[in-house]
Amino acid sequence: MPKPELLIVGGGITGLCAAISAAQQGARVTLVDAAVNAGTTANAGSLHVQLQSRFMRLYPEQAPNVEASLPLYLRAVREWDALEATHGPFEMVRKGGLMLAEDAEQLAFLETKARREADKGLDVEILDRAALERIAPWLGPQIIGAELCRDEGKLNPLAANIRLQAVARSLGVSLVRDRITSLLIGSDVQLRGETDSYRADQVIIAAAWGAGDLVSGLGLALPSRAEPLHMNITEPAAAGIEHLIQHAERSITLKQLQSGQIVIGGGWPAQSRGNHAVPEVLATSMLGNVALAGRLVPGITGLRVIRTWAGMNTTIDGKTALGRLAGAERVIVAVPGDAGYTLGPLVGRLAAELAGDVPGDVDIAPFSLARFAA
Amino acid sequence: MMSDPVTFFFEGEALSARNGQSLAAALTDAGQRVFRHTGKGSPRGVFCGMGVCQDCLVSVDGQPNQRACMTLARDGALVQRQVARPELESKADFDGKPAQPLAARELTPDVLVIGGGAGGLNAAAVAASAGASVLVLDERKVAGGQYFKQPAADAPLLDAQQSDGADLLAAAREAGAELLGGVEIWGAFAGPLLYAVAPDGTPLVLRPKQLIVATGAYERPCMVPGWTLPGVMTTGAAQTLWRSYRSLPGRRVAVCGSGPLNLQVALELARGGAEVRLVAESAPSPLKRPASAMALLLAGPKLALAGSGMLLGLRRAGVPVHYDTGLAAIAANTDGSLRATFRRNGREETTELDALCMNDGFEPQNEILRLLGADMHYDPAFGHLRCTRTDSLSTSVDGVYAVGDCCGLGGAPAAAAEGRIAGAAAAAACGFATHEDLWSSRQALAGARRFQKRLWALHDPAPRNLDTLPDDTLICRCEEVTLGQFRNGMADDADHIGTVKRVTRVGMGCCQGRYCGPVAARLVANATGRSLTDHSYFAPRVPIKPVSIGTLMATQEALDAKA
Repeated sequence: MPKPELLIVGGGITGLCAAISAAQQGARVTLVDAAVNAGTTANAGSLHVQLQSRFMRLYPEQAPNVEASLPLYLRAVREWDALEATHGPFEMVRKGGLMLAEDAEQLAFLETKARREADKGLDVEILDRAALERIAPWLGPQIIGAELCRDEGKLNPLAANIRLQAVARSLGVSLVRDRITSLLIGSDVQLRGETDSYRADQVIIAAAWGAGDLVSGLGLALPSRAEPLHMNITEPAAAGIEHLIQHAERSITLKQLQSGQIVIGGGWPAQSRGNHAVPEVLATSMLGNVALAGRLVPGITGLRVIRTWAGMNTTIDGKTALGRLAGAERVIVAVPGDAGYTLGPLVGRLAAELAGDVPGDVDIAPFSLARFAA
Repeated sequence: MMSDPVTFFFEGEALSARNGQSLAAALTDAGQRVFRHTGKGSPRGVFCGMGVCQDCLVSVDGQPNQRACMTLARDGALVQRQVARPELESKADFDGKPAQPLAARELTPDVLVIGGGAGGLNAAAVAASAGASVLVLDERKVAGGQYFKQPAADAPLLDAQQSDGADLLAAAREAGAELLGGVEIWGAFAGPLLYAVAPDGTPLVLRPKQLIVATGAYERPCMVPGWTLPGVMTTGAAQTLWRSYRSLPGRRVAVCGSGPLNLQVALELARGGAEVRLVAESAPSPLKRPASAMALLLAGPKLALAGSGMLLGLRRAGVPVHYDTGLAAIAANTDGSLRATFRRNGREETTELDALCMNDGFEPQNEILRLLGADMHYDPAFGHLRCTRTDSLSTSVDGVYAVGDCCGLGGAPAAAAEGRIAGAAAAAACGFATHEDLWSSRQALAGARRFQKRLWALHDPAPRNLDTLPDDTLICRCEEVTLGQFRNGMADDADHIGTVKRVTRVGMGCCQGRYCGPVAARLVANATGRSLTDHSYFAPRVPIKPVSIGTLMATQEALDAKA
């Protein structure tokens, strides 16, 4: 096999879209994936744009970075639109997301948030109960209003992942199962994996929470952290919930997939068993998360939860890390940070364009790795 | 024979049932075989008969998701076929959370026994006799398990097997064990901490000092085209219809697969009045293997003679037993009756039937053990996982014992002996000395294991090779995934069962992968050339059985109120 021009570490949504984009540019691409705790394979399919209250509450110090990234989120959902049009269907629905308020204080918070988001170009609106009644009559009676962000949506990540893998294969991308453990920079990049070793002219590290360890020897202190999260799925019901549902104060995402199943998640913790073992589902998260969902949307209480699972979200500092590594320019880091599935296709494509020296349509300077220089 | 007939309504039609009959039995008596249609429009009815497959779901008085096999026919009940995708708005009207959530019961017995069969009841009797507080939970309203299958309500006991079960239940109660029936366990977490729901909706939170898992096994089907048709059911389901409810699965019946249960049930159904057209056994005749048959006789003369008595009984009843014979396909006639094709020495033969019973071995119900992280190992002879245990039947998890078929097939006599040993050990761990004669139990266990080994040498307990099955065979009943789709799903990346699951949706339905999981694990293992381990199967996840959001809300509210 000829040496690939580009080797991508991480076969999640970011790496996959980087591979597709680079292959479309004509590059010989190898994609190496460890198949361990990939956030993409456990993802529940929310397309996030508005500021997530969960994130602002848990990581207040990162909120300014997230807010500054809002335009990137907007670009990212449009990237998904384009992907769906070219490679879909991914069962994508972009009817918007509703962030619910149960009291005046929460509604006031949403109003402030909506103004700031509108300034960043988001299509947002505050709805009162009467307006909600028209589009979401199934909400609990205690909901007094909501912020509607029309840019948000949902898709079936299983469908998207399968389709995009098939696209990558059809473009000649070589998909390899291995866990890369180290990189050595010389006249090219040498990579050592658990089962094999590799060489490539350039490398994109799209390894989410695993990226920090890989670049720690290359002068970059990238604080990529694995955050094990809990999710639940119900049996199917007739179609009824079009929007992505969130809450102004509490952790939740709720949406109905095309299968009719309701997916309930939104950042309840799972118990880590180390980054290389699947996290353990916690009783407190299952009970708390599902009970909250049933309270917000009483129409689902008769449905049965048929499965729960846990997957790794990745956080950095509230902002995407995307750029060439100073002193090791053959290495590009592409880690979207929070809401990685939403941002993945855009960040992946931008990384591939950076690798191919193709002028991109997004200024990536704000996402430079310089802020993590060790 | 049973008093107080009840009248209920199925799709508006008045039907009568005997007191204590399950809905599945009463509907079967009434000739109703289609209980619901899947999202893709396929008809489904009774299949497992024991609350596993989630295929006999009906709505009762507006409450959906009632398993007809586990639900009693109540007077005046309005029963309807389950809608595949119910409306959300109307959902709020039925089930839902109770206006005042029932207070959760937090139970902290010395010894919690899950499963009231041969293993669990013996464990409970021994532990309670020693002085430990013992709670036994069973999913069925009437405990006894699959072997002792107790009659419903006031029906008389059928035979020694049922009266032995009744005696064992009485012994466990007399020893002081508390038995709770109709309890659905949905969560098992480190501790052990278990969550369940009682039949009246009361959330149960269980924190036992010692846990004995005795959850038994469910039946492995003969996966052939048509195995999901109404009228096709497991042999155990047919046996429950007859032994517990005195209902016959149909007039013209055949039994297929491998193992002694098929012979027993064929004889029971024939004596009950069914026209049993044949028993198809995939193993060769014992007459062709006199050495194995003699070994069985030596290992357990009494049971071996009982077995040959069954064969004799079948001959007298005019039921042919065809050896070396496998099921090839099942088709439905327009009137809902079945056409089953059997294959013997390359020749195919078709039989017209009303019901086809299948048992092709067993799969352990090891969900709780796997969730708690108990060590497992694969047994290629039986094609399923076995739980690794010490001599006192404790698992690799502190304070957790496992007995009976949930640890891998061993049969009821072995389960009973294991139960007595584990019951004594669990009581001792709580500080209660037992007077149990452990030596006898160990002898009995060794004898039962010897007998089982010889017994299965005459049958065919390893799973079938699926290579020759046509692509249109369903392997996932719930998501209706075919073998062909699964094979395609493996083509690109068959690295792990989870990967193929995400590609094909195999195992994503309401039975939670119980039927497709073992098959999918083997197909992936074959494709990758890896041997099977615990990790080859779907990752264990809560809920153990589907649980309504209303139940979870009531549990959470009760826990909140306590805090």
